[in-house]
Amino acid sequence: MSDDDLDPAIHVPARLRIMVTLASLGEGDDLSFTRLQDLIGLTPGNLITHLRKLEDAGYITTHKNGSGVTARTAVALTNGGRAALDRYSATLRALLDSAGTPVTGTRT
Amino acid sequence: MNEETGITSAPGSGETAALDAQDAAAIMQQARERAGSELRIRRPVLFVTWGLAVLIGYGAMWLSVRGQHPFQGPAWPTLLLALLLLAIAAIITAQVVDRAASGVGGRSEVQRGIFVLALGAGYAALLIEKIALVGAGVSRPIQAVLGVTAPMLVAGLVFVATSASTTGLNWPRLILGLWLLAVAAGASWAGPVTVLAVCALAGGGGVLLMAAIEPRLHRA
Repeated sequence: MSDDDLDPAIHVPARLRIMVTLASLGEGDDLSFTRLQDLIGLTPGNLITHLRKLEDAGYITTHKNGSGVTARTAVALTNGGRAALDRYSATLRALLDSAGTPVTGTRT
Repeated sequence: MNEETGITSAPGSGETAALDAQDAAAIMQQARERAGSELRIRRPVLFVTWGLAVLIGYGAMWLSVRGQHPFQGPAWPTLLLALLLLAIAAIITAQVVDRAASGVGGRSEVQRGIFVLALGAGYAALLIEKIALVGAGVSRPIQAVLGVTAPMLVAGLVFVATSASTTGLNWPRLILGLWLLAVAAGASWAGPVTVLAVCALAGGGGVLLMAAIEPRLHRA
């Protein structure tokens, strides 16, 4: 097993942070784009780029509530996204175990 | 998304940054801790706030009615103090919840709305009932017992009824709700003076105790 076995759609620092942050929400919850940006610390452009890749992979959904100046874009993890993060975590744990590294932070 | 501004590339976005397994584990840990710290409502703060409000508010009223013969009811300054504590607790609650829940939508937003609606409707109904009881000429001791225990009954019922959600059981809320129901029911037998002391100590004290054990319940 090698790093190549880790899902490339998730195995990027920014996208990993996005996935873990969204996974910390309750099922059926979503997070506004601005709050997510605040938590992840990316520029809007970078965040949009990463969200688009995760959305293309089917791991997140985005939707807009309201219209005009009150419009709010919300981001949520899909069931497939949650399962993908679980798989990523399991693979990561296996990698760290095989390398004899203490495992922390890989539980979803 | 409305923030899409035609950006097609993401210089500096970390797309090509090398990431080994250890780095990934560290990033996951940091992101989880950050999300947990920022997105979780700090319930112990709320329990301490409301526990102190109940303890001091009811406690002050009890001190003002102690030894009254015949029973006249709490002194006005203690009622004003209770209202002030209530307002402060409500403001702190709003700030704590807003800090964590800002930007979070979906089911938990609906659940928060139902919780606030249930409490608001319950207390509005109690206020109307209180006015009706005064109008019907119900004695001061009965008014006092109902006035002290009924809000605790409403809070207890709402806590119990809203303790279950799709994400699981909110144990602190369920235990506290059942405790408040027990305190309110038991204190009703204590009479118009002692009911205040029982609700202050057992009600306020119970909420304060929950502040101490909630983190352990959460971990469990």
